[in-house]
Amino acid sequence: MRMKTLLACTGLLLSQLASASEPLPQRWVSAGGAFTEWVVALGGESKLVGVDSTSQYPRSLQKLPGVGYQRALAAEGILTLKPDILLGSNEMGPPPVIEQLKAAGVRIEMLSATADMPTLQHNLNQLGQLLGKPAEAQHLMDSYSQRLKNQANLVSQAQQHNAAPRALLLLSHSGGNLQVAGKDTLAAWMIQQAGGNSLVEHLGYKPVSNEALLALDPQVIIFAGGRLQGDEARAALLTQNPVLGQTSAGRDGRIVVIDPTLLVGGLGPRVPDALADLTKAFYPDSQVLTAEAKQ
Amino acid sequence: MLRANNLAVRRGPRTVLSNIDIQLQPGQVLGVLGPNGAGKSTLLAALCGELAVSEGSVSLEGRALADWPGQDRAKRLAVLPQSSSLNFAFSVNEVVGMGRLPYATGRVRDAEIVAEALRAADALHLAGRSYLALSGGERQRVHLARVLAQLWPGAEGQTLLLDEPTSMLDPLHQHTILQAVRDFAERGAAVMVILHDLNLAARYCDQLLLLQEGLPHAYGPPAEVLTAEALAAVYGLEVLIQQHPERGHPLIIAR
Amino acid sequence: MTAIVRPRPMLLTLALLLVLIVWLSLALGPVSLPLRETLLAGLRLLGLSIDGDNTQQAELILGQIRLPRTLLGIAVGAVLALSGVAMQGLFRNPLADPGLVGVSGGAALGAAIAIVGGSMLGGMAPAIEPYVLSACAFSGGLIVTAVVYRFGRSNGQTNVATMLLAGVALTAMAGAGVGLFTYLADDATLRTLTFWNLGSLNGASYQRLWPLLIVTVGVALWLPRRAAALNAMLLGESEARHLGFDIERIKLELVLCTALGVGAAVAAAGLIGFIGLVVPHLMRLLVGPDHRVLLPASLLAGAGLLLLADLIARLLLAPAELPIGIVTALIGAPFFLFLLVRGRS
Repeated sequence: MRMKTLLACTGLLLSQLASASEPLPQRWVSAGGAFTEWVVALGGESKLVGVDSTSQYPRSLQKLPGVGYQRALAAEGILTLKPDILLGSNEMGPPPVIEQLKAAGVRIEMLSATADMPTLQHNLNQLGQLLGKPAEAQHLMDSYSQRLKNQANLVSQAQQHNAAPRALLLLSHSGGNLQVAGKDTLAAWMIQQAGGNSLVEHLGYKPVSNEALLALDPQVIIFAGGRLQGDEARAALLTQNPVLGQTSAGRDGRIVVIDPTLLVGGLGPRVPDALADLTKAFYPDSQVLTAEAKQ
Repeated sequence: MLRANNLAVRRGPRTVLSNIDIQLQPGQVLGVLGPNGAGKSTLLAALCGELAVSEGSVSLEGRALADWPGQDRAKRLAVLPQSSSLNFAFSVNEVVGMGRLPYATGRVRDAEIVAEALRAADALHLAGRSYLALSGGERQRVHLARVLAQLWPGAEGQTLLLDEPTSMLDPLHQHTILQAVRDFAERGAAVMVILHDLNLAARYCDQLLLLQEGLPHAYGPPAEVLTAEALAAVYGLEVLIQQHPERGHPLIIAR
Repeated sequence: MTAIVRPRPMLLTLALLLVLIVWLSLALGPVSLPLRETLLAGLRLLGLSIDGDNTQQAELILGQIRLPRTLLGIAVGAVLALSGVAMQGLFRNPLADPGLVGVSGGAALGAAIAIVGGSMLGGMAPAIEPYVLSACAFSGGLIVTAVVYRFGRSNGQTNVATMLLAGVALTAMAGAGVGLFTYLADDATLRTLTFWNLGSLNGASYQRLWPLLIVTVGVALWLPRRAAALNAMLLGESEARHLGFDIERIKLELVLCTALGVGAAVAAAGLIGFIGLVVPHLMRLLVGPDHRVLLPASLLAGAGLLLLADLIARLLLAPAELPIGIVTALIGAPFFLFLLVRGRS
């Protein structure tokens, strides 16, 4: 902990040094959903002049010019926005376009989308400096890790009385085939953090047969779907995939609907809220949680 | 001169052609007759190198056919297949002009030859039309003009092989076309033509080869080949043979 | 041989149109540059030192973005159209597509192996990633075409019909391979694969341009030498042989030109459909089937049409851009239907 504070302080110091030597970028293009959210959270929304197709949240961003998919960016298109900086994950590309943008004097800021705390710390640090708000960034980081820590405590308390429920995250776009989130996905990480028992062994998002779904028999289904929300989405899921009604989750009506944009591009600012919701769904009877929720 | 020595062609275990010894003489038209499946087209394919021969040899001007470089051979040997599958909208002039591809005689001379060949095939009036807009008989004449252009004007040392050039023609054109072929031969080229019409063969050919099940049944001048016995044996057809009242060649009348 | 249409004015018109489109492709883009600046920057890029306005931005956009992209478009369009002519001649079918001999399917498989395999091995250095992708796509196309050609050979002869069927079968197998890699892919690589399959001239750079340029120039110089043979081939293979052409050799050359040309084009710009099919078809309607005119006409029209499609691709959704394969298919398919309906009436 002390180490982290020290690091943060050094970062703060460095950022002030940096800001003294060169002007802060004023026009931002962000190509990565979670990064965009952090920029907004740090009060930088007015500096955004363009976003990629994964930057769907907050909805107000949809008014901004779109620069397409983060791995198929167009150099000249982005130059029309006269950006000072292009922010994105290290998957951003294609590489020649990044080179061309660099040659055109656009600062390229590639951050890792890995879902863990050291990465997030580094990313927030960096964004804080670039937005000239290092203190706010550190504050966001501290409260973020605090919330995750509280979350972990809650989960361990709940697990003293209840077994971890078997949970499965299903992804479906516009009624297409259901895909199940694998063990290397952000979804699996979230299930773990929220105190669920992730059932899958595969990697990535893969279609899974009805029979396999029955065999897995999840107690909670987390559904990340299209535009529908809440009960509507739940009903649609069950109508389109009647087999889910045969699982424990389907019978007990334990289906949680989450926003699929949460799952893209690393840890975003909305993750703690989503984790809290998930934990609530995993342990509906736990006293601790009800008490905590009122907080 | 195209010469086949003791030619045999086998397809798998089946012998489809054998004992063929023929020479295509300069200035002469050799007609090949025989019922369906007798081996006429096989013979033509073997003579032009399209089919590998199992036995014997084919030579052009005393040199094995396969030893000729493509272009030199094309200047001496032209082949008209039974049908063409050309499915692109060339003009008639262009199609006939393809007969000049082996040569570098120049645009002007080629255009003259194309016109002369078209006139010989009675197709000059079609010159500017699109090939695809022609009827079957017209297309056949255009292709004949093409192979004529390939050897034009026709001289000793050149050979023309025709597979049923009259199959789609009206009676008048059957005669004009075969007359054109005769005229062409008269300038020195050797011609072999596969025919079904016995009377046309009798009238326009100098020599006839009558094939039966891949074997030569008779080979000689029309009057010797076209006998009632031979035709009965090969075709199973009862015929009367008379003499053409004006020209003297045999006239075949089915009984 | 005299053509029905006078080929020279037509070729000249096509050449002028291409020059115009090249100018548009250089002058237009999401960033609007004033004409004066474009011209100045152009002159400076040509090595003329002209004093005056600061044209750094224009020079960069013109020299580093639009020019390589335009050159790539010319090369890809030209070589796809030429390959289309070669394949339609080889198969004696005006509906033949360069993909018939398996080169596109093979290239797609190669690309899938590079994209998905690369990411499964923990990712490649971004600097070499495009080169590995191009190399894999190119060799994939070449290998599958070689196998297709091998299947068509028997007794020293190439059976075009067998080759066609082998092409269909191997393309299907390559498709299954791509499907397998699609299944193995994670979300991000999946999208990369999808985008690659739709083609794009985005990210053109001189370093990646030259292999394609060499192949394109080679094909563009070689195929016209075979124009007469291609004409004769349309009569039929044996007719062409009787006209003195070594058709086994010609067939090999045509397949080789297509495999190299399409392979290099696909490696540089992904899968771009319909140019190879529609352009030769259209040009045949305009200048006739004579390959001595058809080949240069298709080269010019292919380059022009692809550049035009690319202009649409980069302007329509700017600052984002549309994969060019979508544009060529959206223009190409209805146009093709129009030709069909017109041909029928």
